[in-house]
Amino acid sequence: MDLSLSTRTVGDRTVVEVGGEIDVYTAPKLREQLVELVNDGSYHLVVDMEGVDFLDSTGLGVLVGGLKRVRAHEGSLRLVCNQERILKIFRITGLTKVFPIHTSVDEAVAATD
Amino acid sequence: MSATGWQTDRAKNPHPTSLPDQQLTAEQRATGPSSGLPAQPTTAALPRQRTSEPASVSAPVTPAPFTLLVIGEDPASAFAVPDLLDATGNRARIRHARNLTEARRLLTDDVSCILLDLELGARQAKGLDVLREVLRMAPTTAVLTLASGQTDAELAAEAVRVGAQDYLFRNEIEASLLNRAMRYAVERKRADLAQLQLTETRLRAEENARLERGLLPTPLLDGAEKLRFAARYQPGRSRALLGGDFYDVIRTPNGTVHAMIGDVCGHGPDEAALGVELRIAWRAQILAGLCGESILQTLQQVLEYERPDDEIFATLCTVDIAPDGRRASVSLAGHPSPLLARRGCPAELLPYEHGGPALGLLPQVEWERVDVELGDAWSLMLYTDGLIEGRVGMGTARLGQEGMIGLIDRGLREGLSGEELLDAAVTEAMALNGGELTDDVAVVLLDHG
Repeated sequence: MDLSLSTRTVGDRTVVEVGGEIDVYTAPKLREQLVELVNDGSYHLVVDMEGVDFLDSTGLGVLVGGLKRVRAHEGSLRLVCNQERILKIFRITGLTKVFPIHTSVDEAVAATD
Repeated sequence: MSATGWQTDRAKNPHPTSLPDQQLTAEQRATGPSSGLPAQPTTAALPRQRTSEPASVSAPVTPAPFTLLVIGEDPASAFAVPDLLDATGNRARIRHARNLTEARRLLTDDVSCILLDLELGARQAKGLDVLREVLRMAPTTAVLTLASGQTDAELAAEAVRVGAQDYLFRNEIEASLLNRAMRYAVERKRADLAQLQLTETRLRAEENARLERGLLPTPLLDGAEKLRFAARYQPGRSRALLGGDFYDVIRTPNGTVHAMIGDVCGHGPDEAALGVELRIAWRAQILAGLCGESILQTLQQVLEYERPDDEIFATLCTVDIAPDGRRASVSLAGHPSPLLARRGCPAELLPYEHGGPALGLLPQVEWERVDVELGDAWSLMLYTDGLIEGRVGMGTARLGQEGMIGLIDRGLREGLSGEELLDAAVTEAMALNGGELTDDVAVVLLDHG
């Protein structure tokens, strides 16, 4: 199964909607997308994971890499996720302490630290 | 123009009329096949050259018209390339480039052999620079060089050392010699590429084997009489990309057994090498008599210093089993919790609520240790996430920890233990996945009592 990506701008945030499976084969595509956004000056990202069916450690690495990139520009990377099996992966790896995780895109877009 | 561009052009029109194929003189055309030699019977077919990857040299060879690209300054009279026949008796196609820019344009996938006039090099650049450029431009094509009185035999020999397949002298050129030289050159180039590919494959396999040995050591368990160790490692679907799964088990002089399993996120030699480093760093600390939380702190430091890219992190699970085998303390750094099966009880996950983040994610983390009562007789399984990430059926469902517990319980009920139990579990996970698992899997099983 493949990975789908689409981006849209909401205010000063860029929402990346991810669908499908993020694994060792598809993770590079997500990495490219995040790198491109940061290179183009989008430093406040919201990654919508509601359409994600699967996420492995390579995918987690890409999200961590994305976070480090936006932080280098004092930006933010917020996740939107309500799926228990994806949340569980974030909990096990301790990434719930690294990423702000929101229940909706609206909430993530409105959020400030 | 890029190679891709050429391929696109070729896809549309495999024999573009704009290319000066057959820039033969009228005389050459008129002479017909009689002046050429019969095709060499040993050359059943000529390989498609001009491929971007040597890997394709082992692909089935399809008969293709033989195309020679001549690179030399004077298209008409510098030398006359005689008529040539290819394996099927057709006249070989000849293209003529007066310089490297033209050569680049005319060098398409169907060029079987290049004949480079060393005079071109002598006038336009130093020594064999032009040849080097041609070899760079056409790494998979056989290159012959043409020498004359002005370019001495020594230079011609040097050309072969640089990478040309052979050299010919201008005054010796005739159809039979050129025909043979070209065909030998093409065959030799093909053999060279096949050899190169074999060597690369072998080196990669050796490298993977070396890393695998580093990731998966022989446990140090001398004196642990009631404890049995079993492990299973199953490489993922893309074997060329070794994962960074690692484990280790050591019994220290006081009788404590220290077990550990970990996984560097991502795949590839860098990640695998980092896995080896983390394992060795852990082993060194245990052998040095250290224990407790400071070990994870040090491992995190090692990871931060050694990782090639700061998106890389590693998960880790450590279990220290008391000398009497009845208790253990467990630390989790972003790693799935081990599975414990006490004799006669269903398997269950050890507590994971206390788990801390994976190594390399956050600065200044403290990892908790949780004490667990094991009892008299038990099996403890440490594993990496490759085992639980396999698919179940055609949809998006995955095995997960619950599915894994089911597999292990069934194995235990069937009386399996040790390697057999692990083999059965991994084999079933693969069967459910419908083939090899995507990720590498490492599993360690400790049986007590």
